[in-house]
Amino acid sequence: MAEVKAGLASNLFAIGAERLALLGKHHKVLMQAYLEGFIDETALTDKALKSLMAARILWRPDEQQSLTLRPLVSELIASMVADENRRQVNADVAEKLEQIHNRVQAYKEAQHQGDYLIAETQLQRLTEQVHDLSGQFEEAIDSLWNRLNSDFGFVSSLKDKIRENQRAQQQLRRLLDGLELIDFSQLIELAEGNSQLRKLLVSQLQLQASAHHSSLLEVQKRLIELLAKFRQQQARSLLINNMVAYLRQHPAYRPANYPERTQVPTLFNLAASIIPAAGIALDKASDRQQLSHLVHQLPKINHQQQENQQAASFTELSPLDKEIAARQQALKQDVESFYLYVAEQNQPVSAYQYLEEQQLTWDSEIWLYQVLADYQSLPQEQQQMLRLKNQETPVSAMNHLMLISDLHLQLR
Amino acid sequence: MIEHGPLIERLLAGDFICEINDSDAHRRLSDDQLQEKLNHYLRPLNRRLAYNDEKSVYFLAYQELTQAAREHLSSQFVLTVQSLLPILEWMQLIQETLGRDTALTAGDTLQVQEFILKTEDNHGLRQRFNQLATDRFFNSKSEALDLQVKLVFNRLKEHGYLIQPHSDRQYFKITGKIDYLMDIIRFIRDEEQLPVADEPTQEELI
Repeated sequence: MAEVKAGLASNLFAIGAERLALLGKHHKVLMQAYLEGFIDETALTDKALKSLMAARILWRPDEQQSLTLRPLVSELIASMVADENRRQVNADVAEKLEQIHNRVQAYKEAQHQGDYLIAETQLQRLTEQVHDLSGQFEEAIDSLWNRLNSDFGFVSSLKDKIRENQRAQQQLRRLLDGLELIDFSQLIELAEGNSQLRKLLVSQLQLQASAHHSSLLEVQKRLIELLAKFRQQQARSLLINNMVAYLRQHPAYRPANYPERTQVPTLFNLAASIIPAAGIALDKASDRQQLSHLVHQLPKINHQQQENQQAASFTELSPLDKEIAARQQALKQDVESFYLYVAEQNQPVSAYQYLEEQQLTWDSEIWLYQVLADYQSLPQEQQQMLRLKNQETPVSAMNHLMLISDLHLQLR
Repeated sequence: MIEHGPLIERLLAGDFICEINDSDAHRRLSDDQLQEKLNHYLRPLNRRLAYNDEKSVYFLAYQELTQAAREHLSSQFVLTVQSLLPILEWMQLIQETLGRDTALTAGDTLQVQEFILKTEDNHGLRQRFNQLATDRFFNSKSEALDLQVKLVFNRLKEHGYLIQPHSDRQYFKITGKIDYLMDIIRFIRDEEQLPVADEPTQEELI
């Protein structure tokens, strides 16, 4: 009897080792098949294909279909590489509990008959099965955490994320139900007085089950939170899209004037801004020194009386000339306001952007030209107070004529 | 109170304080005692501290609705309503252009250059952005994409929807004021019973 068993075992060993080696031998083709869903039959010899099929690694689901990996092999790979798209969570506990139950009976019978060798093997298998049960939860919890931590990043759209989250929550509920199925009073009864069984089925399993239970509850909490976040994001997107659609369809739509209601909703009660201003006060002697320091820091301006620089005096102007002169004057005034604006800023100001922001109607080229002209007509020392930077590019790689596209001015 | 001077000044200037533009101030404002003190201080100015439901933004409201206050609120309301469509369209466009799965939320970072690059090569997006930039709210007169983009982002910065953490670097962050805008939209929708859903319909769920 023992010889037959040993023979069987060595036979099993030989076949198993040979078939495991097949996995390693064809690892690239098999991994490719995992990713593509079918095997590239041209990459393998007929003999290799046959042995892979005999080893139950590959199969042909039906005659029209190409050869592919057996589900168990795919599952193994998915679990090895933590591929959450394909990883299976096995929540079936009842079947495992039944197996454990049967195994305990077989163990007890063997012990009763005094067949200690068989009893030993049965206990060995029983231990494996208990570990298997616990490992199943561990694997599932690992997969759930993995999905949570990656924010369900393995699917791209928000809708898919929501679906995946819901699926994970269902798996989780099944796992929790599975844990409920483990009835410890029944297991205590089953173990009777046997200390080894008690240790395995009661104390060890109970410890693991309670750890799994609390992990699952934590995962559940996080999943629900994440789902709420997903839903909120979804609601926001929908709200934006639908509101845009509505406003586009009803361009004349105006909501009621809420600020006129007796009770103005808080959202629309936005007070006008107040800018607290302060001026120089000379009534505090202790501040004088600092104030005089500030005054000294002001840039010195030599008030040279500008000579009458009017180049040409228009004695008699035609109406057209008058219009041109008026426009010229308006442009000069706008440029002057621009320079005043520059003086107030503490950073470089783009002349072009100013033109855009102030919604001035000048042609940008004329505008830039006038800004530059005004700069050049300034006395030397005032020019030095301003930092002018041209934003320019050559016309082409061949022509090095520089074109100015913008001017940046800053008060030094 | 002196330590809250700069904060009070910002509030008075009409700023919305949120976690993104000033996390420290935002945290301090959540304190009931400080709120009480501020309100006491603001009373003579006819101001009080206000916030949205989630308390993600704080701002100043009128304590008493005088005639002048109401006039200000009315004209401001018109501006707000006018700004709804352009800002929402901008949000949609950003989301699509940058290939985002979710709508923009407070704290999101936007790279101007990335947006320009992705819009440049796509005729449809380019056209839509051009239309948006020339809308009355943004009012761009330029044809050049990068100037339009800069103008639009700057305008939103002025309105407090964006902050630019470094003035010399071209990236922006969305502030909590966007939550406020969403609150306004929800409010108007509920109040006027507009057929604007924010829950997926049954078909969409399937």
